Amino acid sequence: MVPKIMKQGALTPWLYLSAALLIMLLFIVYPTIRTVTLSLRDKAGAQPATVDCVAGEPCWGVLENYRYALTNPEMLQALRNNALWILLMVPGTVGAGLLFAVLTDRVRYERLAKTIIFLPMAISFVGAGVIWRFVYFLETGEGAQIGVLNAIIAGLGGQPVAWLTNSNWMVNNVSLWIVGTWLWAGFCMTILSAALKAVPTEILEASRVDGASEWQVFWRIMFPLILPTVTVVTTTMIINILKVFDIVFVMTNGLNGTEVIANRMFKFIVTNQGRSMAIAGLLIVLTIPIMIFNVRRFREQEEIR
Amino acid sequence: MKKLLSITLIAILLLTLIPASAMAQEPVTCQDEVTVQKDDWLSKYADKYLGNAYAWPAIFQWHNQAAEAEPDKFPNQIVNPDLIEVGWTICIPTAEDATDFLATYTEGVDCMGAAAGDEVSVLYQWSGSEEEKLNTVVKPLVDACGLEIVATTTRDAAVLDTKAKSTPPDVVFWPTTAPLTLYTDLLKDLGDLGADPANYAPFWQDMGTVGGRWLAAPVKADIKTIIWYSPANFDLFGYAVPTTWGELEALVEQMVADGNVPWSMGMESGPATGWTGSDFIQDILLVQQGPQYVLNVIDGTVAYNDAGVMQAYETYGKWAKDETYTVGGATGTVSTGFLDAIYKVFSDPPEAMMVKQSGFAGGEVAAEYPDLVYGTDYDFFAVPGARGMQGGADFMMAFGDSPAAKALVAYLAGPRGAREWAGVGFDLSPNRMALGSYNDPALIKKSLALAGAAGFTPDIGDTIPAPFGEAEWKALVDYVNGEDLATALAAAAAAQADALK
Repeated sequence: MVPKIMKQGALTPWLYLSAALLIMLLFIVYPTIRTVTLSLRDKAGAQPATVDCVAGEPCWGVLENYRYALTNPEMLQALRNNALWILLMVPGTVGAGLLFAVLTDRVRYERLAKTIIFLPMAISFVGAGVIWRFVYFLETGEGAQIGVLNAIIAGLGGQPVAWLTNSNWMVNNVSLWIVGTWLWAGFCMTILSAALKAVPTEILEASRVDGASEWQVFWRIMFPLILPTVTVVTTTMIINILKVFDIVFVMTNGLNGTEVIANRMFKFIVTNQGRSMAIAGLLIVLTIPIMIFNVRRFREQEEIR
Repeated sequence: MKKLLSITLIAILLLTLIPASAMAQEPVTCQDEVTVQKDDWLSKYADKYLGNAYAWPAIFQWHNQAAEAEPDKFPNQIVNPDLIEVGWTICIPTAEDATDFLATYTEGVDCMGAAAGDEVSVLYQWSGSEEEKLNTVVKPLVDACGLEIVATTTRDAAVLDTKAKSTPPDVVFWPTTAPLTLYTDLLKDLGDLGADPANYAPFWQDMGTVGGRWLAAPVKADIKTIIWYSPANFDLFGYAVPTTWGELEALVEQMVADGNVPWSMGMESGPATGWTGSDFIQDILLVQQGPQYVLNVIDGTVAYNDAGVMQAYETYGKWAKDETYTVGGATGTVSTGFLDAIYKVFSDPPEAMMVKQSGFAGGEVAAEYPDLVYGTDYDFFAVPGARGMQGGADFMMAFGDSPAAKALVAYLAGPRGAREWAGVGFDLSPNRMALGSYNDPALIKKSLALAGAAGFTPDIGDTIPAPFGEAEWKALVDYVNGEDLATALAAAAAAQADALK
């Protein structure tokens, strides 16, 4: 028989949550609703977006700004680039994080190695952008190459490469992905390393005794056990990359085929509010599948308990 | 009793005489007395006798005092300091008298009812040395009226936007007239604030007028339709400064034949990459199409993919994309920073012969190569054949009309502010009252070029709305990087139509 004093009323959980709910309401729910409302309005927020319709062109009525966000060539380039960022950079960062986590686990100087790999996370992303701009710097005249990469290439006798202003947009994007990976690999590594350490050593020893190679140990035993953590890291990275802005803005400002969604949103923030909000709305919609996936996973984990 | 009365009367009479005798002017000491010749003006005398052209107000006031004291010697008082007649005799003060006078000089400073300690909030993009120059310019006003200037520095249009809609600054200095269209109803008419529109040429007034209200006055200007070169290198290779566009093209070919690289181009500039190319295209348009065409592009009457614009792009592309004509070819144009592009013309040995850049380039060259002399090692010539002058300007606009704000606006739009601006060398002052007050030979040459400009077109990049501007830069960069011209310009034309509708 539970003493009355220990029984929680039906209202009590809500009282505990109220503070957090209030903050969430104010800083997350209200701005989201306002964003969506503004995205249905014109550039100054005064009239509905239908006034932006141009005669003779397809018009989506009050969703005119969304038509821009989904059909404009620059937005299509931004969507393409973000998709490529996700497809190529997420496996890149998670893979690099995993690799570093496994490798650093086995060396004596583990803490030093981990600190060095994690260090890029500590500097601001804008700072990282500026640093890498200098690394990629190209000198086309007679002067010495001051960019590290081109200095090495020129020193070895090759022809310096335009890393950020190349006529081939893929080169420019790859240069940006390298910066992104450099920044985020440390984060992935730290989380995955913690998960790796949670794997019971008896299982690993037993498998090695049974004659499994290191490769098999990793793929057949370690990886399945840390899979939940890998999923968390992957979804976090996908959300981060959908939002990527600083790297692109500082290094190329979206030129030469490197446009991304957040950069497009920023460009319109003063001059055409409705459009900017529509792009933000699009970003929210793109994140929803990942959110659903996360929530489902939480539920599954709760059921296991 | 009668005796007492008469003594008192005499005493009073004597007392009234004392101030009168004190008022009797003592002869004023002149360092020299000059007779005015043709083409003389006060700042010339100030430069010659006082070592500072800028000290002319001392002569102005000193002479008038001398004229009051000795009207036989100096029969002509100076009413308008810009107007002295041939044959007049002017009294020049000694250097010490001049310095003492200037320390307390407050002519041209009208506090407009502002009390000491009044604050005027100001927003501008300047920082560092530029901000110091502005502070030097307004120092006489601040000292005379005891004003406090509360300044915010930002280059972010979003910050201006937020402030304008919540706590607008009293006065804002902005490099474009964009705030005119964005905040028309919030801005005050400058005439109401005590500024005199007659101090500005008609095209400046038109640029700052919206709906019949004069809302923006240009305080700082730079001319852009100029090409910087090294006279020393030109002499070395026997090149002459071209006077027609045909001569310029022939000169470029001659330079290539001699094995020199004619142009140094650099469009890289962070978020503003492409603006130097935009300036070059505009100058080519001024040569090939004329100023009215450029104005039509700005307001959308002419689409950005019109044949005239395409022709200008092709002329530009011929030079910008080829490494025989420009350092590094297309890659060089797109990747080189605009400052580095300027330095390449004046390095030793030079990497190129010419760079088309605004007036500020002179200051950059002087800072990077302090041993070079203006006129011998670096100089500019106007783009030959351009039917008008392209330029950039910073405009003063007012959200507030407090007495302190009025004092600041009237001061900068008036003669004193203009002369201070010219004297400190903070680029050109479009205020007519500034002519004759420049100290720097490069600025003098530029001020004459601006004053003599047949027409003035604002810089396209500064005047058009941001989305169109960025589309323009993107079109440029893509074109130089190899994209098809028609496709690139079509995208820019779409952005133009969108932004200007």
